[in-house]
Amino acid sequence: MKPSPFEYERPESLADALQVLATYGDRCKVLAGGQSLIPLLAMRLAQPEVIVDVARVRELSGVDRNGSRIRIGAMTTNAEMERRQDMPSPASQALPHVGHFQIRNRGTIGGSLAHMDPAAEWPALLLAMEGEVTLQSVRGRRALAAADFVQGPLMTALADDELLVEVTLPTDGRGAGFAEVARRPGDFALVGAACHRARSGRAGVVAFATGTQPHRLPRLEAALEDGVPDEAELVRLAAAELTVGGDIHATAEYRRQVGARMVARAVRQAWN
Amino acid sequence: MELTLVVNGKPWSGEVPPRLTLADFLRDRLKLRGTHLGCEHGVCGACTVLVDERAMRSCLMFAVQADGQQVLTVEGMSRDGAHSPLQQAFLDHGAFQCGFCTPGFLASAEELLRSGRRYSRSELRERLAGNICRCTGYDPIVEAVFSCQS
Repeated sequence: MKPSPFEYERPESLADALQVLATYGDRCKVLAGGQSLIPLLAMRLAQPEVIVDVARVRELSGVDRNGSRIRIGAMTTNAEMERRQDMPSPASQALPHVGHFQIRNRGTIGGSLAHMDPAAEWPALLLAMEGEVTLQSVRGRRALAAADFVQGPLMTALADDELLVEVTLPTDGRGAGFAEVARRPGDFALVGAACHRARSGRAGVVAFATGTQPHRLPRLEAALEDGVPDEAELVRLAAAELTVGGDIHATAEYRRQVGARMVARAVRQAWN
Repeated sequence: MELTLVVNGKPWSGEVPPRLTLADFLRDRLKLRGTHLGCEHGVCGACTVLVDERAMRSCLMFAVQADGQQVLTVEGMSRDGAHSPLQQAFLDHGAFQCGFCTPGFLASAEELLRSGRRYSRSELRERLAGNICRCTGYDPIVEAVFSCQS
């Protein structure tokens, strides 16, 4: 057995789950779909004393549309969302890229956001769409804007006793775009970008997998208020604002050049 | 931890440690060694099985997470000693050499075929990208799955 030993809790209600989190705090880890956590456990990069499996917490499932918003329960799998016809763009465009379909069968929106991998699609989508996450603990419930939730690589605003319970996204966008480069379809992106034009007309443009965390491109977003510049200018603006890093998968220079092209592609799609 | 599930149509009930993966449970407890372990962290796809009709990495699941569910492994695919249509197509197309990746490919492809959707060869190639084969170059595997679509 590869993971180190842990106590296993499988609460059947949200109240029970929050109680377990309140009891164990940073000594426990929440298990959602497990597609990121279980590899970390297998490599013993994570060795929590307690695993809290929230698969049976009914309050964490379900999707409903309400006016110009869609509320997605944290345990909704990527496969469930991919099968729905009412997922807003660019999420619907990005879903086929979220891991392989076998991973999407288990991986959840809440798990992906709580894990906050810099190369994952969901954090980028949440930022571009200016979505909101709802966090709950025995102390209460709070809604956080994407920008306040995303704090760094593998870091979020979640407190040790808090559970991510739902995600809210706008459904009244005017246009959206998504682009990424991966070695195989479904592998982690080497570079990627998402663009969402809100009802207000403002665009959210995000690059991901380029550096330590997904980030918006505020100067490019401001420039887009006067319309989409030509390709050369679009790529120049994007390249200037990208935060890039190099690793064994791609050099920083590759990420700047190709990342800028992905940003340009996502922006153009959003205006098509 | 108490676990009750159905594997290849047979109910099973017993105690397992929570950190036992579904893959290790199948191989070590049930001696169903057709499910192969390659990378053991979700990259190679060799350990893919069907859980409630969906293809999943059995190395990225604890056995206790399959509680109350139906698991299908390669051992459960044949009927009365006869290969499933997909297994027969793999034989007919020479879709394996060493065979290590085959059970995983069969599980992944089985979900695609059961969806009833007709995939083009390039769509199949993309869909099967979550399984790695180091022998065949993939062409015969794609052909075998393609030939099973009615």
